[in-house]
Amino acid sequence: MRRLGRYLEGRKLTAALMVLVGAGNAAAQTGGWLLVRNAIDKGITADNEHHLTIVVAIYLGVAAAGWFLQAMLIRGLATIGQAIVIGLRRDLFDHLTGLSLRYFSQQKAGWIIARLTSDVDAVSDVLSQGMPTLVSNVMLLPAAVTALLIADWRLGIVSLAVLPPALALSRWFQRVSHAANVEQRNRIAAVTAQIAESVAGMAVVQAFNRERRFQAEFDALNEANRAQSTYVQKIFSVFFPSIEFLGVLAMVAVLYVGSHLYAQDTLTIGTLITAIYLLQLVFQPLQELSDVYGQLQSAGAAMVKIASILDEEPEIRDRPGAKPLPRLSGDLDIDSVVFAYGKDPVLHGVSFRVPPGGCFALVGESGHGKSTLARLIGRHYDPDEGAVRVDHHDLRDVQLRSYRRQLGVVLQDPFLFSGTIASNIRFAKPDATDEEVQAAAAAVGVDRVAARLSGGLEHEVREGGAGLSSGERQLISIARALLADPRILVLDEATSNIDRPTEVLIERALDRLLAGRTSIIIAHRLSTVRRAEKILVVEHGRIVQRGAERDLLSEDGVFRRLAHTLEGGDETEFAAAG
Amino acid sequence: MSFVDPSDLGLLPTFRRLLRLWRDQWRLGVFGLACSLAYTLISTAIPVLIQQAIDRSIVHHAQPLWPYLAIIAGLAALRAVVNFNRRYATARIGVRIEARMRELLYQAYLRYPRGFYDRHPTGQVLSRATNDLYPIRYFIGWGFVQGMQSLMMITAAAVVLTVVDARLALYTAVAMPPITVLALRFARRVAPISRQVQERKGDVTEAADEAVVGIEMVQTFGREDDVRGRFGEKAEGVRSTVLRQAGVESRHLPGLYYLPALSIAAVLFFGGRQVIGGHLSIGQFVLFETLLLQLVWPLEALGWITNLAQRALASAGRSFAWLEGIEALPEPARPRRLPAGRLDVRFERVSFAYGGEADVLHDLDLTIEPGEIVAVCGPTGAGKTSLLNLLPRFYDPTAGRVRLGGVDARDVPIAELRASVALVTQRPVLFSVPLRENLTAGREEADWDEVLAACRAAGVDSFGPSLPEGYETLIGERGVNLSGGQRQRVALARALVTGARVVVLDDPLSAVDTFTERQLVARLRPALAGRTVLVATQRLSTVWIADRAVVLLDGRIVESGRPAELVRAGGPFATLFGDEVVAA
Ligand SMILES: Nc1ncnc2c1ncn2[C@@H]1O[C@H](COP(=O)(O)OP(=O)(O)O)[C@@H](O)[C@H]1O
Ligand SMILES: Nc1ncnc2c1ncn2[C@@H]1O[C@H](COP(=O)(O)OP(=O)(O)O)[C@@H](O)[C@H]1O
Ligand SMILES: [Mg+2]
Ligand SMILES: [Mg+2]
Repeated sequence: MRRLGRYLEGRKLTAALMVLVGAGNAAAQTGGWLLVRNAIDKGITADNEHHLTIVVAIYLGVAAAGWFLQAMLIRGLATIGQAIVIGLRRDLFDHLTGLSLRYFSQQKAGWIIARLTSDVDAVSDVLSQGMPTLVSNVMLLPAAVTALLIADWRLGIVSLAVLPPALALSRWFQRVSHAANVEQRNRIAAVTAQIAESVAGMAVVQAFNRERRFQAEFDALNEANRAQSTYVQKIFSVFFPSIEFLGVLAMVAVLYVGSHLYAQDTLTIGTLITAIYLLQLVFQPLQELSDVYGQLQSAGAAMVKIASILDEEPEIRDRPGAKPLPRLSGDLDIDSVVFAYGKDPVLHGVSFRVPPGGCFALVGESGHGKSTLARLIGRHYDPDEGAVRVDHHDLRDVQLRSYRRQLGVVLQDPFLFSGTIASNIRFAKPDATDEEVQAAAAAVGVDRVAARLSGGLEHEVREGGAGLSSGERQLISIARALLADPRILVLDEATSNIDRPTEVLIERALDRLLAGRTSIIIAHRLSTVRRAEKILVVEHGRIVQRGAERDLLSEDGVFRRLAHTLEGGDETEFAAAG
Repeated sequence: MSFVDPSDLGLLPTFRRLLRLWRDQWRLGVFGLACSLAYTLISTAIPVLIQQAIDRSIVHHAQPLWPYLAIIAGLAALRAVVNFNRRYATARIGVRIEARMRELLYQAYLRYPRGFYDRHPTGQVLSRATNDLYPIRYFIGWGFVQGMQSLMMITAAAVVLTVVDARLALYTAVAMPPITVLALRFARRVAPISRQVQERKGDVTEAADEAVVGIEMVQTFGREDDVRGRFGEKAEGVRSTVLRQAGVESRHLPGLYYLPALSIAAVLFFGGRQVIGGHLSIGQFVLFETLLLQLVWPLEALGWITNLAQRALASAGRSFAWLEGIEALPEPARPRRLPAGRLDVRFERVSFAYGGEADVLHDLDLTIEPGEIVAVCGPTGAGKTSLLNLLPRFYDPTAGRVRLGGVDARDVPIAELRASVALVTQRPVLFSVPLRENLTAGREEADWDEVLAACRAAGVDSFGPSLPEGYETLIGERGVNLSGGQRQRVALARALVTGARVVVLDDPLSAVDTFTERQLVARLRPALAGRTVLVATQRLSTVWIADRAVVLLDGRIVESGRPAELVRAGGPFATLFGDEVVAA
């Protein structure tokens, strides 16, 4: 909870004011009852109607003041509370987007989303709805006890006798319900994650008749969540009635002692009656506080979860004193890079250097580390040994943002955001003009795709790019990279779902638009990699061959094996088939 | 309105459906209401006893005090038990109905056609089965019975007060009309805003989901600030609506809290005079005040509950609209079994369009003989995936039909159809379970030897055993810890394991290197022997696997024949593979 204090910055005055307002509100409520005592003793039992009238008038005035103060309290606390919530939500999101890929590949998406939504909402609920109750009751409790002691200290002490068990009960409740709530959060997060994963993979779930199995898994999680909710409710159901019961016991004690004191004439009937009401004011906040306490508990549990993200150190981030990169000339140096996702290295000492404006191709069997290299070039991971340098700057020493802005990457499985085709192309360069967007689209043939779709470039794209064919998604993401006008371009199997003639079109566009830029092409089609000045063959995380196509073909090595697929072998195969 | 996007249900129909869910729990419900009644009676009896105690034992010593106190303590103990039971019973109803609604939704999600998912972002689908259910749970698990109890408390208090002193009771009723007006006004004003709050929260979920799933893209282009800005806007949307809600609350709630002071003042003023005049005992005076005090919370609660009820009905209205308005893929009315043995596949004059858009496939005829392997080639966006997706009935053709073994796909029970058609989607989908379970997802009882054979045919054997824990390695969500080509091979092996008679491969080797591809093409032919196969591909090297290739252009088949012949023919096929053909 201490974390939340940070967001109060600049609102301390309002916060202080709200404490005053809360105190005023509590005073108004308890004061009202002291007035009632006065009315009974000095007006009713003293047969003084005039006094009664005056006190009633004052009483109404106090109530009106209380009304006003409480309205202020609700509004003021909501303002503060929401300032905290939005600060928290933003910070959490900012922090998340700064975390490195390793974090995202280890957490389920649904789990992370639950933090940003239901957990922050839990905190928000407490702050916007719980806070007014909390503040006014935290004030009310001591105010009522004080008023009770002022009214008659003997009765006050008698009624305070039940406070120890009440407090003990509250302690128990806090402890048990906290644990229960944390567990509850875990279970609902598991349910969320299950739904998220099945919705994302629904095509396969259905195609393989997996519905029953998924339903069964879900049912188990849903049931576990239900059981835990029930348990939490049970704890609450025990607590409130018990407090209520203690309240009545206190009243019985007060009545008993009060009747004796009254008989001895050391107590007025008005005081006795008022004591009963004030007792209600003592126990009502206890109840309401515990009610809020439930919210507080789940908010506390939610904060624990949120903190687990906020405490996550981004693996990749600017080192203190990192320099912004000037415009790159595009010299890319991969120097003895060793890298492991887990224990076993995926890259074992990879070295190569692309001169400014050079175009290199990476080929090799799938799963041997090509995409991993691309990720290291994008600095999604840092090498365990060795370094990646651009223009002689180690990537770890430069400001990440200034580097990535000069980098264009087209991923193997491109992601499109909901919006339009145009807004997706513009993603990497939000200030691009419509003409620039159209030019980029036309260069790679997105315009022809768009022409088929309703709305052209303004065609609605849904989350993830649903509603487009895979090849179309790739085309759009290439246009996006082109528009970014990168100094270094990495194409990771960017055209794998695109037909060869379109790919040729794209290659021409790249040649024209990216002349002088450094580029790395990862591809399997031989015709695609042929463009490169130099081809690097990756095998088991090492570069086993490098050189121009012609030279590699003349060597007896992996490349020939890869190339062989297209050369020579075909005809015999076709002949056999035919 | 379309069949995948029905409009929300109205209040009344929603209410009826909620009531039906509630009726499933009627035992608990009736028990809860009975407890409420008992609670009300005890809570009214206690102040009456206090009144008697004050009048008879404290002010006048007509009777000893302790029996009263004993009875009050006893009743209080009883009330605690009753109250526990009421709370627990009603809370359980809420929790159960929440779980039940979620179960129903999830069940429905599993049956919804692809068209539904084309239209609704994951975040929305998710939030409807999570956040959206909370108002329903609170209303049913608390609001409904609490509301009934509030009404009972008010009635009981009114009866007792009227019996004691009808005229004074009337005076104290002075606060009732404004409270009622205020409570109703509050409910009316706050309901639309709280609905908006709910919607804005949905927007936040959507924004969060997209950013989390697309994080690599965001980071690669250094566009964190943009998505942060986008997310910030959504968060700001929540904030401003919550603040508006607080505004409405601040204008109404304190009133609900302090208006009863009017009644208390009325009792003080009029009751006090009557006490002075000797028409009312001091104990009765106390009774009036105590009962009024007891009404403060039930009255305040009424305002909350009306609000909650409206939110719950709105949420439930949305959920029920999905549950009832969206048709799952229809099962055949008179199901027919697929014939035994090899199956042929016929597309007969098939046209297809995605909901409301232009035709993607036009009047297409294609026959795949039993055991034949046909490659579907064509430029990006020609409709290959759309054609393939008709086989497992992800979509139904808008005209014409798809027949397997002579039976219209729509006449085959869906589970049987899908068990007979194994699919490899263009974007491989794996689940976060161990590799072994991913492989056997299509047929859990598969023999491990068969699985290994499939792994060999699909090339999983070249990396599976060397993963950190071999075939027991946990695959990350969406297969993040595998390379693209590895994911594809797992998906391919998974399809082979099913042993289905028809196999649909959508660009299954696009991320696999040519060398592995060549090996696989050689190994796949025997593995696929006897099965009818439709394979879409962009690579000439994959086309080899096929007996016959067809070229799809703008949703029409423009060429068909043996691959080798097509290469020589120099038609659309040859153009499509361009320099690859030249290389060959
Ligand atoms: N996020 C990850 N966590 C753990 N292992 C991974 C992860 N991503 C890839 N790998 C492993 O690293 C190896 C290289 O993968 P990758 O670089 O994607 O290959 P490719 O050459 O096909 O692009 C593969 O064996 C893969 O299983
Ligand atoms: N879910 C969808 N909703 C609407 N249109 C779609 C959807 N999926 C694909 N399309 C459109 O249908 C056409 C054919 O797509 P598809 O069959 O995926 O092509 P491909 O031949 O590349 O596999 C494309 O123009 C694409 O934009
Ligand atoms: Mg790769
Ligand atoms: Mg496709």
